[in-house]
Amino acid sequence: MGDYVWFHDVSWHASYAIYFFVIGICSGLAFLSYGSWITPALRPLREKAAYLSFALLAVGGVLLIADLSQPMRFLNVLNPAYLNFTSPLAWGSLNIVAFGIASVLYLMALKKGDETPRTKLIATVTALLALGLPVYTGYDLTVHQSRPIWNTPVMPVLFVALAIASGSAVGSLVAGGNEAARKVLHQYLLWSTAAVGVILVSILGTTNYGGAASELTFVILTTGTMGLIFVGIGILAGTAAPVALLLAPVGHKQSGLMLSALLVLVGSAALRYALLMGPQQLQTLY
Amino acid sequence: MSEEQRVSSIETRGVAGKKRYAMVVDTRRCIGCMACQVACKAEYDTPLGVNRTWVPYKVVGKYPTVKKQFLPRLCNHCDDPPCVRNCPVDATYKVEDGGFVLQRYERCIGCRSCMAACPYNARFMLPAHRTYSSITRVVDKCTFCFHRVTQNMVPACVQTCVGRSRVFGDINDPNSEVSYLVARNPTQVLRPEEGTKPQVYYIGADRNATEFGRDAYHKPDVMELDRSAFKRNFKI
Amino acid sequence: MEMPKITRRTFLKVSAGTTAAVAAAPRLLNAMEQELGGKDFNPDSLAERKAIPITCHVCNIQDGAIAFVENGRVVKLEGNPEHVSTRGRLCAKGNAGMWYSYDPDRILYPLKRVGARGEGKWKRITWDEALAEVAQKLDAALKEDPNTIAVKKGRDRSGGAWGRFMNTLGSATVLNHTSVCESSKKIGMEPTWGPDIETPDFANAKYVLNFGSNILEAAYFHNPLSQRVTEGRVDNHMKIVTFDVRLSNTAGFSDEWIPVFPGTDGAVALAMGHVILRDNLQDTDFIETWTNVTVKELKDNYKPYTPEWASKISGVPAETIERVAREFATTKPATLFTYRGPAKHLYGSYNERSCMMLPIMTGNIETRGGYCLPRGMGWPQPNPQPPGPKHGSYLSTPPDYPLAGHKVSHLVPFWIAEGKQKINVYMTYQDNPVYTNPGARAVWGRLFKDEKLIPYYISMSSHMGEETALADIILPDCPYLERWEPESMPNSLWPWLGVRQPVHASLGESRENRVMLRDIIHKLDPDGKRGMKQFWNFKDGEDYMKQHFDNIPGLKEAGGLKFLKEHGVWPIYGKLDPKSGKVTDKTGREIKAEYGLHKKELSDADMAGAVVGKDGVISKNGKAIGVKRNGKNYVGFPTGNRVINVRVDQWAEYGFNPMPTFKRIPWHETMKEDEMILSTFKLNVHKQSRTAAVKWLAEIAHSNPAWMNPVTAKKLGVKTGDLVRIETRVGHMVTKAYVTEGIHPKVISIPTAFGHWEYGRLATLKLKDKPAFGGTEDADLQNVWWDDRGVHPNDIIPVVADPIGGSQGWYDTVAKVTKAGPNDKYGDIQGDWQKHVEAYKETMRYAYTGDLHRKMHPEMASWGGPESVKHKAGGGGH
Ligand SMILES: Nc1nc2c(c(=O)[nH]1)N[C@H]1C(S)=C(S)[C@@H](COP(=O)(O)OP(=O)(O)OC[C@H]3O[C@@H](n4cnc5c(=O)[nH]c(N)nc54)[C@H](O)[C@@H]3O)O[C@H]1N2
Ligand SMILES: Nc1nc2c(c(=O)[nH]1)N[C@H]1C(S)=C(S)[C@@H](COP(=O)(O)OP(=O)(O)OC[C@H]3O[C@@H](n4cnc5c(=O)[nH]c(N)nc54)[C@H](O)[C@@H]3O)O[C@H]1N2
Ligand code: SF4
Ligand code: SF4
Ligand code: SF4
Ligand code: SF4
Ligand code: SF4
Ligand SMILES: [Mo]
Repeated sequence: MGDYVWFHDVSWHASYAIYFFVIGICSGLAFLSYGSWITPALRPLREKAAYLSFALLAVGGVLLIADLSQPMRFLNVLNPAYLNFTSPLAWGSLNIVAFGIASVLYLMALKKGDETPRTKLIATVTALLALGLPVYTGYDLTVHQSRPIWNTPVMPVLFVALAIASGSAVGSLVAGGNEAARKVLHQYLLWSTAAVGVILVSILGTTNYGGAASELTFVILTTGTMGLIFVGIGILAGTAAPVALLLAPVGHKQSGLMLSALLVLVGSAALRYALLMGPQQLQTLY
Repeated sequence: MSEEQRVSSIETRGVAGKKRYAMVVDTRRCIGCMACQVACKAEYDTPLGVNRTWVPYKVVGKYPTVKKQFLPRLCNHCDDPPCVRNCPVDATYKVEDGGFVLQRYERCIGCRSCMAACPYNARFMLPAHRTYSSITRVVDKCTFCFHRVTQNMVPACVQTCVGRSRVFGDINDPNSEVSYLVARNPTQVLRPEEGTKPQVYYIGADRNATEFGRDAYHKPDVMELDRSAFKRNFKI
Repeated sequence: MEMPKITRRTFLKVSAGTTAAVAAAPRLLNAMEQELGGKDFNPDSLAERKAIPITCHVCNIQDGAIAFVENGRVVKLEGNPEHVSTRGRLCAKGNAGMWYSYDPDRILYPLKRVGARGEGKWKRITWDEALAEVAQKLDAALKEDPNTIAVKKGRDRSGGAWGRFMNTLGSATVLNHTSVCESSKKIGMEPTWGPDIETPDFANAKYVLNFGSNILEAAYFHNPLSQRVTEGRVDNHMKIVTFDVRLSNTAGFSDEWIPVFPGTDGAVALAMGHVILRDNLQDTDFIETWTNVTVKELKDNYKPYTPEWASKISGVPAETIERVAREFATTKPATLFTYRGPAKHLYGSYNERSCMMLPIMTGNIETRGGYCLPRGMGWPQPNPQPPGPKHGSYLSTPPDYPLAGHKVSHLVPFWIAEGKQKINVYMTYQDNPVYTNPGARAVWGRLFKDEKLIPYYISMSSHMGEETALADIILPDCPYLERWEPESMPNSLWPWLGVRQPVHASLGESRENRVMLRDIIHKLDPDGKRGMKQFWNFKDGEDYMKQHFDNIPGLKEAGGLKFLKEHGVWPIYGKLDPKSGKVTDKTGREIKAEYGLHKKELSDADMAGAVVGKDGVISKNGKAIGVKRNGKNYVGFPTGNRVINVRVDQWAEYGFNPMPTFKRIPWHETMKEDEMILSTFKLNVHKQSRTAAVKWLAEIAHSNPAWMNPVTAKKLGVKTGDLVRIETRVGHMVTKAYVTEGIHPKVISIPTAFGHWEYGRLATLKLKDKPAFGGTEDADLQNVWWDDRGVHPNDIIPVVADPIGGSQGWYDTVAKVTKAGPNDKYGDIQGDWQKHVEAYKETMRYAYTGDLHRKMHPEMASWGGPESVKHKAGGGGH
């Protein structure tokens, strides 16, 4: 009855945002573990970060597979006869698998207490593969030419920044009272979160000045429930507030850092959700 | 997806020397009878909640000068299909001879990348329950009735089109009815700016309905009643 | 099928979607158009599906169709490409018809009521038990008076079997649904030119006036005529102007939609006639030759009906009337079409006649692109045939409505309640008055629940409709895909005969109606001693069909029933051209229709022994067979005097105006400022009450908010989705509003086919229950996502009977609409029996025997009153 349009479902639901969140922290922690090879202050975090990262990889993998409507077919992605290299998801799957293998090797080396350059090399490779995770997830959105917001070249960069921010946030929580580590993490958290903020501003700017679809996506992202999640939790509480907090004197204290870390985590989860769902709303009406 | 095709979205006609099936939808002839939608459902045992083709409408104008417009929709069997580019396992693919964009159901992992990639909402996830077909929980879409067309029959929706609004044929064949219609009439495709090179050509379509513009998202309240029910109740 | 044999598998035999398909697909070589139909294949296995030609019966248009069967199940329906009217296409409903058969809630064995009527408690019984009980009840009734056995039929396509059945029993109490359908259109047309419908030649017209027909969604004949409307509009650049109270899809497609105040089409049409005659744009030659009036008489009659007069009544600007009238009269060829819009009013018969006068006075009759006579074919009935009943029945030929040749069945509950005729056994067949008639539950529901008035009620139905739910016994009939029936419909300019044949054995224990009727008779008269059995002498449904079809000249040579079983239809006029979608002859050109049927000349053999009367009427053996004009002996029109009767003298006998006229609905004149007209309509994807369980259609349309204009909505302070309360003289309802520019500000309109309280789990959205009567569950029903089933308005629509045509005035109801109050709940609806009785009494006052009749017809002052009518038609009984 009435003006009638067929109803379309969004393609990716909230569970995919959770995956983004988990895999972001996973890669962020891998950076930290690798960072400990360069920045001695982070040395106490090396094993913890590596184990946690691996654990999150497992969780992320399960989430990713469970989100498939044919979970048992996830192996198809690894079938060389099937692989389609124009798909970021194909690259992403290879990346995840490679990262998983590298992580295992790395953990084995760590377990042996092997601190040779060989282990450092494995750590480097692992970190590079970890970098691939946010890059591919961002790229996974970017390639969708018809979706405003997603279809911006900075999306992978944003996801890398989010990964560092959320990884550092978890690191900050894990680091506890270790002052040296905290100092480094403070910088990581501050700069990555600030970077997230800058990228968001530029994305929103281009979106608001884009065509009708972009404009409407902007409207969807900044009003109503989605606005609360995106602007309220994601940008204000989860990005601006922690940056301000970290710049303030209290941000250098353990409590301030912990609070900022929590805000960043909540914020980055909200951002991922909003960035995933917001740009999908519009097209369901087309 | 040759370089050549990437140059222009208008001059695409599939691969030279091969068949390039296309559909012409003459909106002047569409009476909104929904026969196409139901014929397609029957042909494929398409479950409730999803459709390979659908016919949205709009009431335009102010009393008493009011008109009703229909815009039959289906997969465009794009010559440069982002859905194909995005599928990690080549489960959706392009058939060069004919130009069909098809699914390999047994390979599809259900990642929905192709759904996200299609600018036209032409794809959907098959729910777990169907009347008699066994293919479920993979992505599906209009096949341009590959199985009929390759047996020299028009698609089911074209076959039953009461207004003869839908015409189907080889657009690379200068003698076909679709070639004739496209040559003699101004035609539109949906969202040409996406560079997908759609192969469903509309005659007389209102830009307010075809374009990805603000008006396409003006939500009439009455639709919202059903939309919220759909959101609430349709679980795959 | 006479389809070209193309098994050119241009792709390898592969299931769509395997790697091999692409890799090995050879180049497609053929350069011809794809075929338009006749075959279907499984999308996965590519196996060809078995094709069985049938005739569609989702609605009453009788399109030729093909059922495609796979694994014993009909999986696809399509139009029969050999069918001259259908041309291979079906509408949405036709495409979904298999769900009549596979509805999980279909009744698959005989049921006997065990609780109170309508309580929903049933016991499965055997056919033997059922037939024995039915026969015993009929037997008892026969002993008292055959007329105490009544049947009310809706869509009766039994090809005469029901008439045979009732004649065998000797009962005249045969009721139908035509008075709630379109009867006043029929009664407006029949005395005028013979048949009850026109065939407008849309494909070749240049100008079309459409009064209240929703041809692109419903009407007779939606699918075949919609095809011709789009052809005419796009290929032939015709202009189409639609008068409707709301923006139907037809109005929305038309070049102009002209909203009219309900019930005033007749005034607009008269005013157009006034303009045409005033400006001398009429076809004088046609009028003087082919009608029973002169141009002068016509001009005199039309003088008072000025555009200004009509404008005041209808709200259509006088300039529009002037302009459209001139356009219509000066554009040739032009045609006109009406359906229920003008007819379903108190004086609907007058409205219809005023409309049909326009093509008559402009000479567009039986011309290419004009207003043509319907073309149909008949079939013989098997012999011997039972004689008719001995006595007339009050209910089927009510004496107060002598001109209502299609009965006034919607008044029957009141007559039964008043004791006008006693009923012992009541049967329904494809008729759901508890849902489809005015008063619905409040009137028919009450009647059927009253065991004193209806002592025994048999429903012959495949579905648990609202009426069947109140029955004492249910005999499970077969849906159309499992029946044998003969068909012919004038749904294009080419006559045809068609067949409906079972596509598979009837499901469960259901039995097709003709066989069921035979079985009842055989039970009543097992050894033939009562003389009944002799009329029911056929082995099965197919044998009965043989007796219809095997001896029709032409068809007989082609093979009789065998031909129809293979092709579905006869004759086959040509081949469906895939390029144009038209039927072409051997030379590849579109087949031509025959026009000017009235100008066919009588042969010498016809004339042998015929006499020519003084007004040119040619009679033979006391029957008019033609008319002499300009020295030629023409067959003329199929009326008593073989010409068009612009003046219907028979009407004058009963004090009705015999000339084209208009009567305003009195209660519309006295409407208050805050009152509106409650109207209803049909939409494209549903069919009466019957498609509620067809999932693909229910998915497209499942609820029915009330249309209202934004101006009205603003006044009421409601927006789309808000609840409104609609009050009429007989009750009230609460439903949702749909605010749209596409409706007259004084009209609120609600589509029918929704708001079921019976008809199975999908219609009532009680999907948690299990199929109760032997049906097989459909897993797809787990995907049902809508949760609104709408509200059906018929409880609060009072009866109105056109004193001439007997038709229900569906679109005359005055209603008060307000924003719903705090105690109003969505779906509330209540009609009051006593108030319905008052409405019935009031409408009877307009009958020719009633006290308002004379008041409504001051121009008939010289009429002698009801007593003056010498030969009262019909009547009798108790
Ligand atoms: N889809 C579908 N098709 C059908 C049927 C069905 O149920 N569904 N039923 C079949 C049957 S049995 C019949 S009788 C026909 C009926 O076919 P139609 O008569 O074409 O359909 P209705 O909806 O009954 O009424 C036609 C139009 O009359 C309008 N109307 C109401 N009052 C007035 C008025 O005063 N003046 C004018 N000008 N218009 C008015 C309504 O708004 C509506 O659009 O359809 C047949 N075909
Ligand atoms: N308000 C309003 N009411 C209307 C109309 C309107 O425009 N407005 N339109 C009117 C018109 S035009 C008409 S024609 C009438 C129609 O009114 P009805 O003649 O009453 O028609 P249906 O609703 O089709 O009746 C269907 C019943 O037949 C039974 N049935 C269904 N399929 C089969 C079958 O295959 N075999 C058998 N034996 N039985 C079956 C079911 O029990 C079902 O309840 O409705 C009228 N009612
Ligand atoms: S319309 Fe969508 S699904 Fe169809 S080919 Fe184009 S992108 Fe793919
Ligand atoms: S859902 Fe299936 S077809 Fe679509 S991209 Fe994923 S694997 Fe490919
Ligand atoms: S071409 Fe075939 S699959 Fe596509 S919409 Fe038409 S009927 Fe459905
Ligand atoms: S079948 Fe043809 S006329 Fe009917 S809605 Fe579909 S495209 Fe339009
Ligand atoms: S109009 Fe539709 S439902 Fe009616 S007979 Fe034709 S195809 Fe069947
Ligand atoms: Mo009807």
